[in-house]
Amino acid sequence: MTSFTRRGFIASASTVLASSIVGVKPGFSQSNYPSRPITLICPWGAGGGTDATARIIAQVMEQKVGQPVNVVNRTGGNGVVGHTAISTAAPDGYTIGLLTVEIAMMHWQGLTDLTPKSYTPLSLMNVDAPAIQVKADSPYKNIKELADAIKAAPPGKLKASGTGQGGIWHLALVGWLQSLGLQPNHVAWVPSNGAAPGMQDLAAGGIDIVPCSLPEARPMIDAGRAKSLAILAPERNPQFPNVPTLDEQMGPHKSVGVWRGIAGPKGLPADVQDKLVAVLKEVYDSKEYKDFMSSRGFGTQWAERAAYGQFMDESDRQMGEAMKAAGLAKA
Amino acid sequence: MNELVEAFRLVLAPDVMIAILLSSIYGLVIGSLPGLSATMATALLVPVTFYLSPIAAVASIIAASAMAIFSGDIPGCLLRIPGTPASAAYTDEAYAMTRNGQAEVALGAGLWFSALGGVAGTISLVVMAPMLAELALNFSTYEYFWLAFLGLMCATLVARSSPVKAIASMLLGLLVACIGMENPGGVPRFTFGVAELLGGIEPIPALVGVFAVSEVIRAIVSPEPPPLPSRRFGSILAGQLALTRKYWRQMTRGNVVGIIIGVLPGAGADMAAWVSYAMSKRFSKEPKKFGTGHPEGLVEAGASNNASLASGWVPALLFGIPGDTITAIAIGVLYMKGLNPGPTLFTERASSMYALYIIFILANIIMIPLGIVMIRAASSILRAPRATIMPVILVCCAVGAFATGNNLFAIILVAAFGVIGYVMENNGFPVAAMVLGIVMGTMVEQSFVTSLIKSDGSLLPFFERPVSAVLATMTIAALLWPAFIWSWKRLRPRPQEQAL
Amino acid sequence: MRLSDRVTGSFVATLGALATYGGSQLPPVPGQDVGPSVFPMVIGVGLILCGLMIAFGIGHSFEDEAEADLAAVQGPSQEAQPSEPLSYRLRALLPPILLLFYVYAADRIGFVPVAAVMIFISALAFSAKLRVALPLALLAPIVIHLIFYKLLRVPLPPGLLPMPW
Repeated sequence: MTSFTRRGFIASASTVLASSIVGVKPGFSQSNYPSRPITLICPWGAGGGTDATARIIAQVMEQKVGQPVNVVNRTGGNGVVGHTAISTAAPDGYTIGLLTVEIAMMHWQGLTDLTPKSYTPLSLMNVDAPAIQVKADSPYKNIKELADAIKAAPPGKLKASGTGQGGIWHLALVGWLQSLGLQPNHVAWVPSNGAAPGMQDLAAGGIDIVPCSLPEARPMIDAGRAKSLAILAPERNPQFPNVPTLDEQMGPHKSVGVWRGIAGPKGLPADVQDKLVAVLKEVYDSKEYKDFMSSRGFGTQWAERAAYGQFMDESDRQMGEAMKAAGLAKA
Repeated sequence: MNELVEAFRLVLAPDVMIAILLSSIYGLVIGSLPGLSATMATALLVPVTFYLSPIAAVASIIAASAMAIFSGDIPGCLLRIPGTPASAAYTDEAYAMTRNGQAEVALGAGLWFSALGGVAGTISLVVMAPMLAELALNFSTYEYFWLAFLGLMCATLVARSSPVKAIASMLLGLLVACIGMENPGGVPRFTFGVAELLGGIEPIPALVGVFAVSEVIRAIVSPEPPPLPSRRFGSILAGQLALTRKYWRQMTRGNVVGIIIGVLPGAGADMAAWVSYAMSKRFSKEPKKFGTGHPEGLVEAGASNNASLASGWVPALLFGIPGDTITAIAIGVLYMKGLNPGPTLFTERASSMYALYIIFILANIIMIPLGIVMIRAASSILRAPRATIMPVILVCCAVGAFATGNNLFAIILVAAFGVIGYVMENNGFPVAAMVLGIVMGTMVEQSFVTSLIKSDGSLLPFFERPVSAVLATMTIAALLWPAFIWSWKRLRPRPQEQAL
Repeated sequence: MRLSDRVTGSFVATLGALATYGGSQLPPVPGQDVGPSVFPMVIGVGLILCGLMIAFGIGHSFEDEAEADLAAVQGPSQEAQPSEPLSYRLRALLPPILLLFYVYAADRIGFVPVAAVMIFISALAFSAKLRVALPLALLAPIVIHLIFYKLLRVPLPPGLLPMPW
């Protein structure tokens, strides 16, 4: 009995010794990772949609990995600071981050050298397509009527708002105008501090069109001040089944949308990637995550690793085209 | 009626009561630390609210933000370091009262009129929410432009210095607000290739720098001031009823202005305090006393900023449009807890809405006893030696600025603004005016440029629309006032001299 | 650092000129008649005007008057400092330098040691006695760390001296 214990002890001790001599070999770290808290960097401030998404992911992850997952809001530089922090973190799997669509936009304007390729893509978690909103009592009954009205109006007559100059919804509008064969500035863009003030100005009658995601437009639609004519996505949003897609009414159109996904710095070890992607898949499939995202009206979409990388590259290409067309990209 | 009973049941749940009490204490402490604002108190609460029930989560935000706005007055009054941009407007006044040995009157006024203002704001929320929301919706960018401009003009009214220097300080603030790419064009401006500057300079690091750090610098190069006469701190509430009777007009005006400014998206407690303090001075019978330790302006501004806090929830709850930076965070929490903003919140979830009203009232009531304890505790700072207080303040500045975005760059900004603030103050440039410029800058430019895009370059709508015409007249009057006074003073003394 | 109005006025005017120039160099934005250059240029011109007015002493009478009002209530101002030696006045640079030290060192050696150094040095600069400065430098950082790290979840760098919580 005693000899058995001793042998067992020696055996286990030698394993420990061996592995500590060999160093952190993959098999060993896989069984051990994560052995301390994980930091999830959110490049945007507390209380916003990205912050909420990061927090729900972290909360469910925490249950799955058995280690605390702390959300750290690294704000500043319009997202550049946080995205930089994710890319420059030590590639040990203890610092990962939530990438947002801005990473596919900022480098076109020459604001940063970071591109989607500066990261180890792990998983896409959320995609929200733009929808086209008009005032509730506006004469346009569907997107076709609006499109005709836009074509008929002199350039610059109609105004649209919903984000800053060159922001994601501006680009979505530019993309749509181009597909109609119009100039990018045929509808004048009124820069605003986000979708909510844009929707307010729509209700106040200051502007004609607000392209933004449906969850952003929801309060005003519910208040009976605005209506949504079409969603620029292949399928209807299950949260808003009454809003038809643009494809249904006017034929296929590829549009830019916002997305959020988890990534790590470049050079994340394969075994850490395996572990994280497996956990993130569990998070994605969890009831908590699904419930939370649907309660906020956020769309969910999954893609992992290389597929997520391809998704980002495609998004990057689309953004580049739209920004060049709108004259926003740096040559 | 059933809904009201249900609402009371929701609020009286033990977890909600504990959340209100703890977050009140938390808000009081955060607001009173130099370098930590009410907005930050709210932002730092978000992770905690994740684990709370919906009503408890919202209750904690309401309680913490109301307490933090009040307790931002405490370091302003005792150390001349405002805790929030809202208290920057009247910090000099409150500090002057402390030097005159009236700290308890100044802080008591802040507490008492904040609580009353909060209750008034809540009543407006209960009674007039749909009406106020309509008002907010009819405010277009033309009106915002004049409003922001009018806010800027307060700089010359509030400052006790040369109006030219006050305007110069305010313009410096506007220039600071130009930095970054948060401008209508979306292009980086004056960023000199520094990525951290792309998002612009937040008001908080600037505020901490020009007030707190420059105060530390000023202290380090000047001999220890004679200690304030040691005496018992008088009753905090005793004088307040008399003040209420004497200044009830000012208080009511403060409440009304606060409610209106609060309900307008984008203009929050900061602007309410400024406008009210300036109005108080402008319409006062004794404007000369302002800045020398006169409670009148404190009454009006205190009544105003907490009233705006409650009415700021109107557009947030009805349309999901943030009234200020605090409700911007609160909206996120509302969504997270399934209390999605919108008119349905008022109809389908009426009991939750009533619960929010009750929490607002409750928070403003418990503010009084908790505030008294806080004031008593904080007043011991007046007796502590400078050599122990100032070093700790310096570290708090660093940590507080860092906490805004977990970004070390904010501390560099704090250091830079500390030097700028010290040099400006020493040469008669009011730093508060610069803070005002930084707070309002984006709004001025954004509303101006977007208005012009909407009107196809025509300036006419700035004067045509009824509300904007009124605001334009007020602004131009305020603009010409200092020039008028100046030329009047230049012309007046001469006949007197001749008479001699 | 009290400078004459001539100096500060010229400085403000120069800054205005720089802002105007910098603003004019900004590229126009397609679809906006009033581009990003207008606002800085308006501010710049305003600063130039204010700077010149300050330099020529316009509006200075208000300051004297305001100070007279203040003095009437509070007694003579304590701002009237005797001319101190340069070494004494140079201490004004200490707070910003300590803040920059924090930026430089916090991630390397951690919050508690950096804060302790900051508090110790600045307490000495306020001519605190060693028996006050030392305990303050040892205890205050730990209390601040406890409040910010534990209660407010601000990720302060642990560095060489991680706290047990």
